[in-house]
Amino acid sequence: MFQSDKTMNISRHYLAFNKALNRFLLLTLILFTCQLTMASEGGGQHQKGKYTELEMMKGERLFKGLIPFQEGFKDCASCHYTKTNKEIDWNPSAYDLAVLSREDTAYLSGAISGSRFQGVKGHEEVSLTNKETELVEAYFSKLADHGLKKHKPVPEKTLIFFGTGFLMLLALIELIFLKKIKIKAIPVLVLLVALGFHLKVVSEEAISLGRSENYAPNQPIKFSHKVHVKQNKIDCKYCHTGVDNSQNAGIPSNNLCLNCHNVVREGSNSGTFEINKIHRAAEQEEPIEWKKVHDLPDHVFFSHATHVQNGNLDCAECHGQVEEMHIVEQVEDLSMGWCIECHRETEVDFDNKYYSKNFEELHQKMEEGQIDAVTVDEVGGINCMKCHY
Amino acid sequence: MSHKYWTSIEEKNNGVENLDKFQDEIPHNTSVQQLIQDDLSNKTTSRRNFLKWCGFTFASTAITTSCESPVKKAIPYLNKPEEVTPGKASFYATSFFDGEEYASVLVKTREGRPIKIEPNDLSTVTKGGSSARIQASVLSLYDRDNRYHHPLKEGKKISWEKMDEEVKQTLKNASSDGKEIALVTPNIISPSTRKLLSEFNEKYPTVNWIQYDPVSVSAMLDANKTSFGKRIIPSYHFDNARVIAGINADFLGTWLLPVDYTDQYIRNRKLEEGETNMSRHIQIESMMTLTGTNADQRMRIKPSEEGAVLVALYNELAMKAGQTSMQQNVQSPVDITQLADELYSNRKQALVVCGTNDYHHQLIVNAINQMLGSYGKTIDINTPINIRQAEDKSMPELMKRMGKGEVSATVFYDVDPLYDYPDADKLKEALKNTDVSVTLTTQANDTSKETLYVGAVNHYLESWGDAEPVKGKYSLAQPAIRRLYDTRQLEEVLLSWMEEDITFYDYLKNHWENTYFPEQNEYSSFRDFWSHTLQDGVFEPKYENRPRPSYSEKGLASSIQKAAKEQPSEELELILYEKVGIGNGKHANNPWLQELPDPVTKATWDNYVCLPPAYAKKHGIETEDVVEVNGVKIPALVQPGMADNVMAIAVGYGKHNTGKAASDVGVNAYPFINYNGGYKQYTRKGLTLSKTEEKYTLALTQSHHRMEGREIVRETNLETFVKDPESIKQKKHDTTLYKEREFEGHHWALVVDLNACTGCGACAIACQSENNVPVVGKEEVVKKRIMHWIRIDRYYKEDENSPEVVHQPVMCQHCDNAPCENVCPVAATTHSNEGLNQMSYNRCIGTKYCINNCPYKVRRFNWYKYAGNDKYGFNSAGEQGQMELNPDVTVRSRGVVEKCSFCVQRIQEKKEQAKLENRQLEDGEVTPACAQACPANALIFGDLNDPNSRVSQLLKSNRNYHLLEELHTKPSVSYMTKVRNMGAKIEA
Repeated sequence: MFQSDKTMNISRHYLAFNKALNRFLLLTLILFTCQLTMASEGGGQHQKGKYTELEMMKGERLFKGLIPFQEGFKDCASCHYTKTNKEIDWNPSAYDLAVLSREDTAYLSGAISGSRFQGVKGHEEVSLTNKETELVEAYFSKLADHGLKKHKPVPEKTLIFFGTGFLMLLALIELIFLKKIKIKAIPVLVLLVALGFHLKVVSEEAISLGRSENYAPNQPIKFSHKVHVKQNKIDCKYCHTGVDNSQNAGIPSNNLCLNCHNVVREGSNSGTFEINKIHRAAEQEEPIEWKKVHDLPDHVFFSHATHVQNGNLDCAECHGQVEEMHIVEQVEDLSMGWCIECHRETEVDFDNKYYSKNFEELHQKMEEGQIDAVTVDEVGGINCMKCHY
Repeated sequence: MSHKYWTSIEEKNNGVENLDKFQDEIPHNTSVQQLIQDDLSNKTTSRRNFLKWCGFTFASTAITTSCESPVKKAIPYLNKPEEVTPGKASFYATSFFDGEEYASVLVKTREGRPIKIEPNDLSTVTKGGSSARIQASVLSLYDRDNRYHHPLKEGKKISWEKMDEEVKQTLKNASSDGKEIALVTPNIISPSTRKLLSEFNEKYPTVNWIQYDPVSVSAMLDANKTSFGKRIIPSYHFDNARVIAGINADFLGTWLLPVDYTDQYIRNRKLEEGETNMSRHIQIESMMTLTGTNADQRMRIKPSEEGAVLVALYNELAMKAGQTSMQQNVQSPVDITQLADELYSNRKQALVVCGTNDYHHQLIVNAINQMLGSYGKTIDINTPINIRQAEDKSMPELMKRMGKGEVSATVFYDVDPLYDYPDADKLKEALKNTDVSVTLTTQANDTSKETLYVGAVNHYLESWGDAEPVKGKYSLAQPAIRRLYDTRQLEEVLLSWMEEDITFYDYLKNHWENTYFPEQNEYSSFRDFWSHTLQDGVFEPKYENRPRPSYSEKGLASSIQKAAKEQPSEELELILYEKVGIGNGKHANNPWLQELPDPVTKATWDNYVCLPPAYAKKHGIETEDVVEVNGVKIPALVQPGMADNVMAIAVGYGKHNTGKAASDVGVNAYPFINYNGGYKQYTRKGLTLSKTEEKYTLALTQSHHRMEGREIVRETNLETFVKDPESIKQKKHDTTLYKEREFEGHHWALVVDLNACTGCGACAIACQSENNVPVVGKEEVVKKRIMHWIRIDRYYKEDENSPEVVHQPVMCQHCDNAPCENVCPVAATTHSNEGLNQMSYNRCIGTKYCINNCPYKVRRFNWYKYAGNDKYGFNSAGEQGQMELNPDVTVRSRGVVEKCSFCVQRIQEKKEQAKLENRQLEDGEVTPACAQACPANALIFGDLNDPNSRVSQLLKSNRNYHLLEELHTKPSVSYMTKVRNMGAKIEA
C-alpha cells in the first residue's frame, strides 16, 4: 500500500505524533490487505519491468555500501543521497541519477567509466563490472518510479506522548489494583499531569491539522533563493512578475530562467548538473513541476497585487527571510487567525483616492484627531466575503 | 391593486393549499425516522454488519484525520505567452453566430481557457446585450460526450490528409462528369466565407451551394422581393415606433435579432427621469409567446384567422388613408378598429411585424407598413439584415435531384437535416443515391451518423472568421483557445479541397486588407487597422444615404384575395414554435439551456403540447396527462393565453444519441411541418388529439414559489402613472425600536425594472456561467432542487383564457435585516459592511434554517455533490467541463447552502483595480453577470452611498418598491412597478 501510493514519497513535515498514530491505525488495515494480496497473487518472486526484485534489492545494497563491489566497499549513497533532505545537499541525488539513467541507458556506465565525468571528484577510482552496473541500474529503475524516501525526523514528541501514556497506565494500575503507594496523591498527580499533557498535545495537533507550517519540500531543481537573491541580488519581482498586478505572484516560466541561464551554464555549488535541468526541460518541452509550498485552500481568495501594491507589504512579512533559504520553507501557518490578526493591526493607505468617496465618518474622525490611522478591519477587511466567495 | 395573481391553472382552481401534487423540496409529513426506517426496512442488522460498519467508521476516521496533505504541484508555463498573466483574465472580441442568432461578444479567458461570454458594448447590432443561448455557448466548447475529436470514415478514425485526398478525388470526378456537388450550410453571414465559397464554386463548377434553415423566414424574403425588388429582410427600429403591432412574431424571444429588438423595444418603455411617454404594443397571436406576455394588450387568433385579420386591418387603414379597400366582406375575428385607429394616428411612428412564413400574409404586411409610412422611419429597407437567407424550396428540389441520382457528392456543414428536415426519412433514402456524403460538424448529430465521412469542425471559440449580420456592420471572430481536438474549421477544409496553400487566417486578412481597409481613413497602415479592429471586434464604417428602393403594389391584390379565402375552421390547429432556450435544437446538448425554465411555461428538460384551458377542461385533460397528436405521444401542458382550439409544440427536442443532455429528451416536432406553395408551414390543421391513460412528470419550476395574495408584483397603467403618480407609491412601514444599520464605504443595491424585464432568461444563464452554478437534472428539478441563483417568476393575472402576465426576476435580496442571518447556528451567513448578505460555504453545516427563514425563498441547498459527479454533473463532470469553471468562485460541495452573492468577486476585482489606479470607483463600473447580460438593461446595480448613482436616483422614484416591505427586512434589491400602456388618451 505504501509503495503504490505516490503521496508517500513526499516530505511534508508533519509532526511525528500524527504519523505514529497514522501508522498504528493503518497497520491493521495494511496487514489485512497484504494478506489478501499475497493470497491472490500466490506469492513468490515476480518480475517488475526489466528487472527482478532481487536485482533491485541487490543493486540498492551495493549502492548503499552494504555489500561489496568486486573492488571493495563503495558507499555511493554517502554523496548521492537516497532520502529527502532538510538541509541542502548540492550533490546530485540518487533519484536525479536514476531519472537520467532511465532516459539514457548508457548514462551510468558513462559516468562511472569516467568518460563523461572526468575530473569529477570521487569518481576517479570507481570502476564497475557489467553485472554490477546492471544491478545498480535495476535499483535506479525502482528509484525513478518511486522517488526518494522521506526524511524522517526522530519522533521525540510521540515518544514522550507514549511514555506519559505508559505512566498513566502505571498510575491507574497502582490506584486500582496494587495500592502500594500510601500517599494516594502521588499517582493521582501523575495521572492528572500526564492527562493534561495529552490534552495539550491533542489540541495542538488538532489545531495544526491541515496547516503546513515549516513545510519545506525538496524541489525538482535545487533552486536556491539564497544564491539568487542574497548573493546575486536579483529582485523578487524579476521572477515573480505577477505580484504587482495579479492575484498570483507566479512561478517563473522556463524561458524566464533561460534569460540568464542561457549564459550562466555553471553554478558555484552544483556545477552544471542542476542548471542542465532547465535546458533539458526546454529541449523536451516539458515544464518543471515545482512543488507548491505556500498553498491556500480553494475557498480562499488572496490577491498578491492588493497586498503588495496597495498594502505595501514586504514579501518577507508572509514568506519569511526567503533570501536566507536554500530550500524554501513555509514560516507562517497561513491560518485565518493569522490573516485576521494582521488585518486588525495593519493600517491602510487612507490617502488612496479610492477612500476619498463615501468614508465620511472615518475622514471626520481623522480630521478631529480621534484616530490617526485607519486599519484594514475598519474598512471591511475582516468581512467573510473579502476572501471567501 | 387587488388583482388575483396565480402561477398555474391548478393553483387558480384549487387554491394553494390543495396543491399536494407538487412535491416539496423537503418532503413534509415524513419524519426523519420514517425516512431512515424506509431505507432500512428490508435490511437486517446483524452482528457482522455491525462490526463491518464499526470497522469502516474506524478506518475512515483514521484515514481522514491522519492522512498527509497531498503535494500540490505548481507548474509554470514552459514559454509564457506575453499576453497571459496567470490569475488575470484576458478578453478577446469575437462573433457568435449559430446560423440563427448573432451577437458580437467578448470572451473572458483565464490561463487560456474561455470561461464566460460577455456582451460587446461597441457593437451597434447587439448593443451590449446577450441571450441565454449566447451566454451558454461557452459550455458547448467543452461538450464532453458529443464533440468529434477527429475525422471519421464509416465511423472509424481517419486522418485529415487521407480524407482530403479521397474527397478531392470525388469532387474532381464529379466536376469532370458534370454531376452536382451539393453543399448544404446554415445561413452564412461571413463575407470572407462567402467569397471563399464562390471561389470554391469556380474550382469545382458543379458545386450547388444551398443555405438551409430549420425554422425559416423564406416567405418574408420573397415578399420583400416582390415589394421592393430585393430578396432581403429590412432592419426594424422598434425604438422609433410609438405603436407596435406584432402578429405571430416573437420578436423579443426568437424572431430574427431578439437581442437587438429587446433593446430597442424597451428603450422607450422605461419611464425613467420624468418620462411619461411609452410605446404601445399590441400582440395578435395564436399561442403564448414571450413577446405576447410583454404586450400591453393581447388578442388571440387561430393561425387560420391571421389572413382575415390582416385583410381587415388593411381595409380599415386603406379606408382612413383614402385608398381602395379590397375584399371588404372579410370580417376580422377580433376587433381591430381601435388598433387601426392607433396605428393610423401614429403614422410614421408605427410598426407592424408578422412572423408567419406565408408569402401572401407578408405581402399584406408590407402594404400595411407602406400605408403607415413605416419605411424609412421604423423600417430601414436600405440596411438589410443578413442572418436569414435560406430558401425553403431548395431542399425539396435537392432531394428530388438526389433521388434521380444527379447528385454525386453531398457535403453538410453544421446542419442536421436528417433530424430537422420535415421529410427526414425520404431525405435519408435519397442520400443513399449519392456517391459520397460528408458531414462537417462540431457535434455529433443524426446527419453525421448517416454520412460516409465526418469532418470534425472547430467550435466557434476556436475559429477565425468575420460576420456581416447587418449590411455595412462587420465584426471579426478570433479563436480564444487553441483547438482542443484534431479539428478544422469549414474554411480550412474548403481551402485544402481547393488545393490552396494558404491558411484561412491569411485569407481573412487579405480579404480585409483589400475590401475594408480602403473603406476607412482612421488608420494609415493595415497592421494598425487590423489589430484595432480585432481588439474592438467590430468595424462599422459610415455609409452615405442610399436611395430607397421604391415600393410596388405588385401581387397585393391577389395576395389579399388568397388571404381572404382562408377559411377559419373550428377544428384543432397546431402551431410549431422555438423555445427561447433550445431554439431550433442545435444547442440541445447544452445542459444549461435544457435546465433553463422556459420564460412562459416555466418547464425544463422537455417539450410538450400546450393546450388552451378551455379545450383542456372540455376534454378532461390536465397538465402531465399524455396525449397522442396524430399518433405521437407527448405530455400535455395546459397553457393559459392560448387561442381557442390551438395547440403548440416546440421544435428542437427529441434527438437521439446526441449526448447526455439532449438524448431522448422530448419529442421531435419537425415532422409536423408541411410544405405549402414552396414554403414550410409552421402551422397545421386537421390533426387529431386523443387523451391516453398515461401520466408523465414535467419539471415545472413556477409551482415552486407562489405569491399567496401578497403584493409581490405591483403594476399600474400609464394613465394612473401620469395623472396620479403618488398613488402608486408603496406604503412604508418604517417604524423600528432598533438603530438602523449604517454602511460605511459602499452599500450595494440592485434595482429591477419590471417594465424592462421581458423574462428572457439571459441573466439566469449568465449567473450560472459566472458563479459555477451546477446543473441538477430533471429528477432534481421536479423535487424543486434547481440551483439557479436568479429565478424569473412568471405570474398570470385574472382571466385564465387570456391572462395578463408579469415576469419578475428574484435573487437574494441582500436584506439589511436579513432573517436568514440570525437563525444560522454556526454564523455561516453574516452581513458585510457593504450591505452584502455573505455566505461562507466552509462554515455551513447544512441545517437549512436559513432556507426556512428566508421570506423570498432564494437560498439553494446542495443536496448532492453536483460538481464532478457523473450522475448530476452534466457540465462540470470530467476534465473538459471543469475547464469552464470560474476559478474565482468556490465550487460548492454537498451539504452547503448557496445563493446570489451580488457577484462579489466582480465587486472585489473592480475595487482592487480602483485602489491600484489610485482613483474613485465610478458608478456603473461594477456590474454583476446578470445585469451585464441583460439585453433590456432591466437590472441596475450600484452604490446607495453615492447619492448620484443611478440606483440612488431610481430609489427615489414613485415606482420603486421592495418585496414584502412590511416584514422590515429592508432588502437591498428593489423593484420598479410595471406600467402598462392601455392606450387611453392621456392629457398630461
